[in-house]
Amino acid sequence: MKVLVAVKRVVDYNVKIRVKTDNTGVELANVKMSMNPFDEIAVEEAVRLKEAGTVTEVVAVSLGVAQCQETLRTALAMGADRGILVTSDADLQPLAVAKMLKVLVEREAPDLVFLGKQAIDDDANQTGQMLAGLLGWAQGTFLSKLTLADGRAQVTREIDGGLETLDIALPAVVTADLRLNTPRYASLPNIMKAKKKPIETLTPADLGVDPTPRLTVLKVEEPPVRKAGVRVPDVATLIEKLRNEAKVI
Amino acid sequence: MSAAAKTEPATKADLILPDLLYTCERAYQTANQTLIVIREHVQALVTSGGALDAAALDRHQYAAHGLSWFATYVSALSCMLDWARRLEATGRLGELESLILQAAYSEYLHQIYGGLPMSQGEFVRLADFGIEVRERQLLQSPYTTLLREHGFTEDCKARLAELMKDGHFGDPGLDDETLDMVRDQFRRFAEEQVAPHCHGWHLNDQLIPLEIVETMAELGVFGLTVPEAYGGLGMGKMAMCVVTEELSRAYIGVGSLGTRSEIAAELIRLGGTEEQKQHYLPLIASGQILPTAVFTEPNTGSDLASLRTRAVREGETYKVTGAKTWITHAARSDLMTLLVRTNPDQPGYKGLSMLLAEKPRGTDADPFPAEGMTGGEIKVLGYRGMKEYELGFDGFEVPAANLLGGTEGQGFKQLMATFESARIQTAARAVGVAQNALETGLRYAQERQQFGKPLYAFPRVHGKLAWMAVETMVARQLTYFAGREKDSDLRCDIEAGMAKLLAARVAWSNADNALQIHGGNGYAEEYAISRILCDARILNVFEGAAEIQAHVIARGLLTR
Repeated sequence: MKVLVAVKRVVDYNVKIRVKTDNTGVELANVKMSMNPFDEIAVEEAVRLKEAGTVTEVVAVSLGVAQCQETLRTALAMGADRGILVTSDADLQPLAVAKMLKVLVEREAPDLVFLGKQAIDDDANQTGQMLAGLLGWAQGTFLSKLTLADGRAQVTREIDGGLETLDIALPAVVTADLRLNTPRYASLPNIMKAKKKPIETLTPADLGVDPTPRLTVLKVEEPPVRKAGVRVPDVATLIEKLRNEAKVI
Repeated sequence: MSAAAKTEPATKADLILPDLLYTCERAYQTANQTLIVIREHVQALVTSGGALDAAALDRHQYAAHGLSWFATYVSALSCMLDWARRLEATGRLGELESLILQAAYSEYLHQIYGGLPMSQGEFVRLADFGIEVRERQLLQSPYTTLLREHGFTEDCKARLAELMKDGHFGDPGLDDETLDMVRDQFRRFAEEQVAPHCHGWHLNDQLIPLEIVETMAELGVFGLTVPEAYGGLGMGKMAMCVVTEELSRAYIGVGSLGTRSEIAAELIRLGGTEEQKQHYLPLIASGQILPTAVFTEPNTGSDLASLRTRAVREGETYKVTGAKTWITHAARSDLMTLLVRTNPDQPGYKGLSMLLAEKPRGTDADPFPAEGMTGGEIKVLGYRGMKEYELGFDGFEVPAANLLGGTEGQGFKQLMATFESARIQTAARAVGVAQNALETGLRYAQERQQFGKPLYAFPRVHGKLAWMAVETMVARQLTYFAGREKDSDLRCDIEAGMAKLLAARVAWSNADNALQIHGGNGYAEEYAISRILCDARILNVFEGAAEIQAHVIARGLLTR
C-alpha cells in the first residue's frame, strides 16, 4: 500500500506575522519558514502506518518555491521514502494545487492521499476536498483517528457536535486534524539518511497544469489594534455609552 | 534651535552607517594593527633571548591575559564581518543584522580603545601594555571613531529593541540546510520536553530523568561526532555546536549531557587502540553507556601535572588509589575516563595515563556500588541535573587492557588532544545559556508593567537587552568560527579557547542583566532567571577557568 502526503511550506507558527506596508500580503523576507503543522501530523501518521507494516511506501510532495525542498527534506527526515517537488514562483491557490496533485496521484497511483486539514497561512481548508472531488474519490477530513483494513478506512472526524466515525472505501483522500497524533522529532540519524533520499523536481508545465491564480487578493491588513478602555463614573453613563457609542444594546 | 526642540525620531536610513561593511573592514584592520602593537609590547615583557620566560609571563599576567582578551575581541570582529558578508552575499543582511554588526563594532572598539573588562572590575587598557598616550592616539582611525560614535547610539538601541521584540535575534548564518533542520528539531525537542520541566529538576536538585536521556540517545546526541564506522553519525563540530546550543538554551544540564560522551568518544577515537574503539565507541554513540570524565583532584585543578591518584599494575590489573573531585554525573555513569599516575618516578605530565574504567551504574540508595570506590555528593549553586561528586579510590580495579592506547605515560597528551573539541562544545553551551537569559529577560521586560508601561519601553531596559542580543551573536559567531576550523581539520586551540572565554563572560553578563530586569522577582527561586544565573556562573569556571584560559591563549599567541 502506498501513501502520498502533501506538505506545504508556511511561515513558522512561532513567528509573529507582519503585514507588508503596501498591504499586498504578508512579509516573507528573512522570515523563518517551516512545514505546515497539520501536514506534519499527516506525515507522522503515514510514517506510523509504514512502521506498523500497513503501508510500504510514503511519498511526500511539496508545491511552491524552490525552498520547498527544505520542507520535503524534513518530511524525509521524519520517515518518508522519497520526495516530489513541483517548483513554481506563482501564488499557488488550492484549486491549482489540487489539479497538480491529481496528476501526481494518477502517475503514482497511491491508495491514500494524506494532507493537513488546512495550511496555517491562508487557512483555506480546500485542497483535500477539491482533490477528492477532482479524483472522484472518497474523502475523510479533520481526522482524529484512522484505521485501515480490508481496502477500507475507518476515519474518526472532529465535527462541531463531537466525533463522527465513517467507513470509506479506498482509494481515498484524508486530511489530518490536530489530535490525530504528536509528530516526532527527526533524529540526527534520520536527518543524515534524508540527505540521501531522492527528490524528483517537476514544474506545473510538466504536469500540464496552468497554475495562474483565479482569485485576486485585494488587501491584507493587520487585525485592528485593541484600543484602551475608559472608566465610566456610573451605570447610567455605561448604558448611555453602550447604546450610543458602542451601539450594542 | 533651542535645546528643548523636539528632534524627529531617527529613520532606519539614518541609523545604519553608510558603506557599513567597508567601514567595519577598515576599522577591523586598524584594530588588528593595534593588536600587533600590543603583542609586540607583551612580547618584550615576557620573552628573554627570543624564548618565552615562564616566570616573566606569570609576573606580567595582567598584560599577557590582556593580550588574550584583545585578540579575542579582534577575532570576534573579524568573525562578525565575515558573518555579515556571507549574509549579504545571499541577500539576508537585513536591518537587524546590520544594526547588530555595527553595534558589535561600536561597543568592542570603544572597549578596545577605552578599557576592556576581563571580568567585572578588572579592566585592561592600552596603558597596561606600556603603550604611550601619543601612540595610543595613532592606533585609531576615522573608521573606528565613526563606528564608536554612531554605531550603537540610544536610537540604535531603541531600533534594535523594536526589531527584537517578537523574538528575532538575527540570522545565525549557518548556510547549511541540514544544520538548519538540526536546529529546528532540537529547538522543538528542548522547548517541549526540557524547558517546561528543568526548573523543577533544578529546584528539587534531581537528576535529569532517564527518559530524557533515552530520547536524546534516540535522537542521536551521543553519537553525533563518532565516526560512522563505529556506530556514530560522523557529523562535524558545527552540528555539535548547534545541538549543544539548542539544548543548553533550554537547560545547561541537558546541553552538558553530551559533553561527557563527546570527551570520552574523542579520547578513545584519537588515543584508543582499534579494539577499544570497536568496543566502546558504538556503546557511547548509542547512549548505552554514559561516560564521565574523572580528572580533577582535591589539590589538582588547573595544574594537572601535579596529579596524584596512583594506578599500580599487578599482573593484568591496575589498582587505583587516590581521591578525585568535581566529577559530574559520577553516580549514574557507566564508564570513567580516569586520569591516573602510572609512573610515580616520572613527575609532571609524563607519568600520567588514562584508564577506561567501567563501573556499575549507581542508584539513589547505593550511588557507588563498585568495590574499592566511594563517593559523596557536592552540593552546588547551579549546573545541577547530573550532580557533582567527590570520589575515593582504594584498590579499585581496572583491567590492564583498559589502558587507553595500550601504552603508559600518554594520558596528558591524549587529554590535550580533546581540548579543542571540549572548548568548542563548552562555548556552544555558553551561547545557549546566553540566549536563554536574553529571551527570559526580554519576555519579562515585555510582560511587566511599571509606571503605566512595559519595562521594555525604558531605555535602560531595552538597551540592556539590545546589547545582550548583539553580544550573544558575537559569541555565537566566534564559536561557529572555531567549529568550522575544527571541521576543516585546522589547528584551533587558540580560537576554541577564545570562543569559550568570551561566550562564558557573555552568558554570565546576560544572566546578570536579565536578572536585574526582573528586579526582586529575579531573586526569587520561583523565577527561571534565578536558575539561569546560577547555571551561567559555572561557565567562567569549568573547562578552563577564565584566567587559565587567558593564560593558555596568551602562551599560544606568543609562541604560535
